[in-house]
Amino acid sequence: MSRADAALDLIANLALAGVAAAVVVRPKVVSRIASSPLLPKATALTRGAARRLRPAPAPPRPLARAKQKADELARIISRYAPQAQRRRQEVARSAGRRLNGSAAMLAFSVLADSAVEHYRGSFENRAMYTPLAAAALTLGASLFGAADARASKHVMRDTIYASAAAAGCAGLGFHSYNILKRPGHWSWLNLFYAAPIGAPMALALAGLLGRGAERVRDIRPHRRATVLGLPAGRMLAGVTAAGLAGTVGEAGLLHFRGAYHDPFMLLPVTVPPVAAVLLGASALHPHRTTHRLTRWWLRLTALLGFAGVGFHAYGVSRNMGGWRNWSQNVLNGPPLPAPPSFTGLALAGLAALSLIEEAETDA
Amino acid sequence: MPERYPGYDVLHKRNSQSWNEQTRRVIDERLAIDPDQHRFFTEEEWPTIRAVCDRIVPQTVARPRPVPLAAMVDEKLHRNSGDGYRYADLPPMREAWRRGLAALDAEARARHRRRFHGLGPLEQDAILAAVQNGDVREHAWRDLPPKSFFTKRVLHDIVSAYYAHPTSWNEIGFGGPASPRGYVRMYFDRRDPWEASEARPGREERARRENARVG
Repeated sequence: MSRADAALDLIANLALAGVAAAVVVRPKVVSRIASSPLLPKATALTRGAARRLRPAPAPPRPLARAKQKADELARIISRYAPQAQRRRQEVARSAGRRLNGSAAMLAFSVLADSAVEHYRGSFENRAMYTPLAAAALTLGASLFGAADARASKHVMRDTIYASAAAAGCAGLGFHSYNILKRPGHWSWLNLFYAAPIGAPMALALAGLLGRGAERVRDIRPHRRATVLGLPAGRMLAGVTAAGLAGTVGEAGLLHFRGAYHDPFMLLPVTVPPVAAVLLGASALHPHRTTHRLTRWWLRLTALLGFAGVGFHAYGVSRNMGGWRNWSQNVLNGPPLPAPPSFTGLALAGLAALSLIEEAETDA
Repeated sequence: MPERYPGYDVLHKRNSQSWNEQTRRVIDERLAIDPDQHRFFTEEEWPTIRAVCDRIVPQTVARPRPVPLAAMVDEKLHRNSGDGYRYADLPPMREAWRRGLAALDAEARARHRRRFHGLGPLEQDAILAAVQNGDVREHAWRDLPPKSFFTKRVLHDIVSAYYAHPTSWNEIGFGGPASPRGYVRMYFDRRDPWEASEARPGREERARRENARVG
């Protein structure tokens, strides 16, 4: 695959992401365009043009055909060779453990963030203790999973991850209710200052990625892990890309609330979206994307998550009274535990990417 | 009347993160005011202003640290630090107080042949009510409008002085200067741990416990 093709592919994926955004933001306009009679005509025209442009495949010469057969045979033999199997299992086990690690990072972020923010909310509702318990359990299970060298899943971890995902989804309901019950209902003011709508999804993501980790490390001979019938690597890359996009939305909303008063506040709305698009492209078209760029961009995003804590600590120090007045400023200033969720997601993306690459080696 | 904020003392915040050096200095100066010190009011005026203060904000409950109202008003007039504005019908702050107190005494002499501070509380209240209603007889008022003097000077200066003192802050559960620590939980019926806790019926003991922890 040439570099030009990769660039074209990236553009196509960006366009796809744009269309998806348009569907979400302006569904009416999109439906009007989709139902217009011009669309099928344009599609037929493009298809015809593409057919005419493509050169007819040359009939293979006999010798080449024999070589092709031999190559295919060699590939099948190597796929079932014990050495290849060992390598495949090793990649799966390591990716599974790294996914456990990324779930741990996300769970830690959720635990610390919900502890601080729900303490600020005076635990007004008993349900506000739920994310603390769920995230603490997820953190424990994930650390256990990351340390556990056995290549198999664990019922306990799997159950905890499932309950974390459920708790995250329930949290979305509670936070929506908190926004809707305030005067103004769905308004920017309430999206800025009521319960953050995106935060519970981080817990759901930790659960989903954790379940993915268990699926990946549960190795069966001659078979690659799947999630909902799709290859695990691509599926997890897709989930991670979506999670990154959601986290970018959350950071964008709150940094907009902060009026981007520091230019560095633009970083989380510029660096991770690129990672999300690259990773999404890898999930959709694994053979046609440059994994090296994706990998470096994910590493950059992971680094940004760490740097974000530093920036937020600086933000706390800039509030009146600085760190001496921590009991107000840690609650009022930028949330210290929020940025590492980017790190957690980027680590998950890297693990998913290595699964995709491994699947490509004998495709 | 039972205490609304039992056990609450805003001065517990003095050495916490709530206050910084500037805040401590300002409040310390206010607490150090000697109730008998007067640098603006003359010996002649002093008993009158004290009597007026006692009627405008009577401090009948025994308090460890009553608000030195007259001395605080005196301090303001001595420094001549105004409010930043002046009502057109009143003379400047200092002149208004001098003429107003003299007119009050004249009013008391005209009605009871005694000075204002020598009267009983009911007679004092009657005279203050007359001033408030503009119902004065004495020529001493001349062009000083009694109604404006009462609402814009007497009430304004004395009540402001009262609520500038930590003793009254304890009474109303006020946290004092939000400097540097302000407030975080700015939503209905929420309380930061460094705020006074109100003794709503049935939770007096809880309020007392929480107020003991304010700092």
